[in-house]
Amino acid sequence: MADSDELIDELAKLALFADLDEPQLRAVAHIFEEAWYAADTRLLRQGIGGSGFYVILEGEVAVVIDGEERARLTRGDYFGEVAILLGERPVADVVAQGPLRVLHLAGQDLHSFLLTYPRVTYRVLVEQTRRLRNANRWRR
Amino acid sequence: MMALGTTEKAELLGRSELFEGAPAAALGRLAERAGERSFADGEYLVRQGQAGTGLWVIVSGSARVVRGSEELSHLGPGQFLGELAVIDQQPRLASVVATGPTVALGLASWDLFAEVEKDPELAAAMLRGLAHRLRQVIGEAHH
Repeated sequence: MADSDELIDELAKLALFADLDEPQLRAVAHIFEEAWYAADTRLLRQGIGGSGFYVILEGEVAVVIDGEERARLTRGDYFGEVAILLGERPVADVVAQGPLRVLHLAGQDLHSFLLTYPRVTYRVLVEQTRRLRNANRWRR
Repeated sequence: MMALGTTEKAELLGRSELFEGAPAAALGRLAERAGERSFADGEYLVRQGQAGTGLWVIVSGSARVVRGSEELSHLGPGQFLGELAVIDQQPRLASVVATGPTVALGLASWDLFAEVEKDPELAAAMLRGLAHRLRQVIGEAHH
């Protein structure tokens, strides 16, 4: 496991946490759990479950809806927040495409995390908007 | 131009899905920052290709949504434009032009951000609203 200072350096480079100062990054490193997954692990299962907010540190995941790959997410990307925010089941499978290292936050902790770090929330808001635009494009 | 009060402005803004579930106090503060503007016939509310820097809701009159020479739709009182652009400031995909004298209530991106930063509950409510829309869109694409 990376020591705490290394992890903080890593977090500082992610767009999601770019507005946080060092004490805040240290707090984030403490709140999230670092986790590793083997290739082909399903972190979220469409319509079934798996919960939590994940930020990718190393590796890549595929976002699969009804068996069809819709997106690839990589370092700095995150997923799982939509299901938590809505209190619903995941709308996609999220599958590790090789060894994967992530930060994980339990679903019940996401709300208070977002309230504590409004600038992170704002970053998620912008990203969500981008995803909505892309989703609208698929539909056409 | 008939000036809207803060309560009326808050009520208008509150009809946006973007602010569904937003605390009333936050809507009130957004309303105080929002401004009314009159547009003459043929005047642009937004121009295609320009960065979105705010959202508008039509108060009275109407506007045409056009891309190039193609008319995409018509907006009337209570309808919004720039609900996503206000957040991500992407270039507008279409122009919106007043048809006849039109009054719109505008909320600038920077005013929204200032409130979002002060009021994380507002940010969280907006996030839930977008998550809800995202899910609807994905659902419609697949069923």
